[in-house]
Amino acid sequence: MDEKAILDHQFVVAAYTITWVVQLGYLAWLAFKWRAQKRAANRSARKAR
Amino acid sequence: MKKAAFGFYIVLTIALLIWGYYQAIYVAPTDAMQGELFRIIFYHVPSASVAFVFFAISLAGSIGYLSFRRGNPAFAQMSDAWALAGAEVGVVFCTVVLLTGPLWGRRAWGIWWTWDARLTTTLVLWLIYVSYLLLRRFAAGPQMQTLAAVLGIFGALDVPIVYMSNRWWRTQHPAPVFGGSEGSGMDPSMVPAFLWNMGAWFAWGILILALRYRVERQQQKIAASEAQQALNATI
Repeated sequence: MDEKAILDHQFVVAAYTITWVVQLGYLAWLAFKWRAQKRAANRSARKAR
Repeated sequence: MKKAAFGFYIVLTIALLIWGYYQAIYVAPTDAMQGELFRIIFYHVPSASVAFVFFAISLAGSIGYLSFRRGNPAFAQMSDAWALAGAEVGVVFCTVVLLTGPLWGRRAWGIWWTWDARLTTTLVLWLIYVSYLLLRRFAAGPQMQTLAAVLGIFGALDVPIVYMSNRWWRTQHPAPVFGGSEGSGMDPSMVPAFLWNMGAWFAWGILILALRYRVERQQQKIAASEAQQALNATI
């Protein structure tokens, strides 16, 4: 593999990694929000009782 | 039954993403001009397509909210949830486009960024929808949803401008690969990998869009319940 091919490969790896970090990071944030919301809903239901 | 269907959809999406990755890295041939670097297209272009479609969903939701907020409040709230979900997930995909694009550009053109029409209009689109999300996060009061819907409609006007920018103006960004002038297009041996990744990213996008919609609907229900409790306490 020449230097150009190695650099190209590194840029492809970087692009794919960034894509997954952004997507999975958002999914994790969504899961966190969902869990916090469930707790809030339970609290609200207890208050209503 | 609903849970099983949802579980099946998740498994299908993960399988599609793995298959798409395999196709992009191991099956699609190396590009004659750009070599390995060309493989960024399999994530960059589908992300842009998903972002455009989801901004269109946000537009439809915004129009739905403005049309039904007086006549049918329940439907208006559903539309508003779709508008928010579309905008937020669209921003996630647009962020991917704006991060993978400069990486590709650095190797292909020798620069990270240039203020050409395609890149600039994409950045403006991202900024409009980030401001939409900030408005929803920090503005309070009954007018917030209406203001957000108006901003969502204006933001969506940038989508066709982004799409047409490299047809209307000379840009550093390459001419369109699909639907461009004569002679444009992709080598047939690369098309299956491209289509698999397009399908995989749409499946993933729909999954997180549905999750975001559900979270927002739940948020609306909690807000309505708390408002009702506050009202009951004052009576």
